[in-house]
Amino acid sequence: MKKVLLPVAVLLLCITAIGIWTRGFSAFTVFSYTLKNAGDMPRAFPDIEWIDQDSTVFHTRDKHKYLLVNFVYLSCPDVCHKVNNRLENIYHSVDSAIVPDQLELVTVSFDTQRDGLDRIKKYRELFSKDNIDGWSFAIPYKTSELEFSNFLKEMGVWIYEVPETGVINHSIYLFLISPDNKIVKVFDPAREDDPSIIKQLEQWVSGRQPSSLS
Amino acid sequence: MGKRQATILFILIIAILGWLISFFWNEYLSETMMRHQVMQLPAMVLLGVLTGLYFKKLVVKDLAWQISLLIMVMTSFIFWMLPRSVDMAVIDPLYNRSMHLNMFVAGLVIVAVLRAAVFEIKIAFLGMVAAMTLAVGITLRVFNILLCSSFNIFQQQETGLYLIFLSIALFLLTYITFFRGAKDELKREGSEE
Repeated sequence: MKKVLLPVAVLLLCITAIGIWTRGFSAFTVFSYTLKNAGDMPRAFPDIEWIDQDSTVFHTRDKHKYLLVNFVYLSCPDVCHKVNNRLENIYHSVDSAIVPDQLELVTVSFDTQRDGLDRIKKYRELFSKDNIDGWSFAIPYKTSELEFSNFLKEMGVWIYEVPETGVINHSIYLFLISPDNKIVKVFDPAREDDPSIIKQLEQWVSGRQPSSLS
Repeated sequence: MGKRQATILFILIIAILGWLISFFWNEYLSETMMRHQVMQLPAMVLLGVLTGLYFKKLVVKDLAWQISLLIMVMTSFIFWMLPRSVDMAVIDPLYNRSMHLNMFVAGLVIVAVLRAAVFEIKIAFLGMVAAMTLAVGITLRVFNILLCSSFNIFQQQETGLYLIFLSIALFLLTYITFFRGAKDELKREGSEE
């Protein structure tokens, strides 16, 4: 009996340990783990003050419309610009009756040391050949590093600066915020294509949201 | 040199090598994903294996314990290959040291178990480790999504390639073990007849 019981018990123990470590075999990377660890959706969008490219200070809760929020840093060598190019495509592909009246895009820079207002304004101009009134670029306003770090943790955004290179590896999720300031959906642009994201955005905004909240 | 002095010298050499890999070269070995996954981890396992080979009395004879310990070793390998674990091992010194210690003990346990294990267990274990390494290698090689935040996508794909090479070496070891074991079995059967 021992011959069978001991290995089976050890196997179950090992599977359980891996299961706990990966939050039920659903979060294998620090990115997905941080997002899962932030809590189930819908959950409140943590409230901090923002300032956009036009020096307008705002709270997301005062927008009273859907917001699609993503996090970047402007010195990024690669992925941030790819995601923003995707967002540009999404912006121009979403039904024009929705943007900007019912849905607004907000690109946030988390690099509070290097990315100031001037920099985000110039960066935004790269995307503004066509009208992008419904796409703001913002940085945290009057927020300490600790507060902002807590904000990112509550959001479920992982950020890690690789020593020496200065490259910041981070989550590239797109967070959909509802008019009542709740995170209702998270898109992963690495796994979902633009048409799928656009379709879901339009469904959410028109009130025909998919049953799954994850 | 007496046996006691030889043992002390051996332990000293292993300790120095362990210190070099785990502390002195740690920053260098953690700098790229390939060094971390393909050099540092196997080096710690190898140190454990060498220690196990030196201490010949280290044997696990009970079948239930053999299988249980091999399950634990496999879980350790799986655990430290998970992207989140890789990140934690690079970022957090506590995880880093735990990983090194775990890999050393895993190497030690492998020798202690395989020394007395039946031929079939040896083959199954080596084959599974080789298959797992190959699967991880292919995944890292073909994935275009960054899995570990401590590294970049090029390092990830480079690691994948080297893990594929490592898995080929492990498959070769499995085949050698298989044919040597099969030869011994045939000899034994021949002498019994």
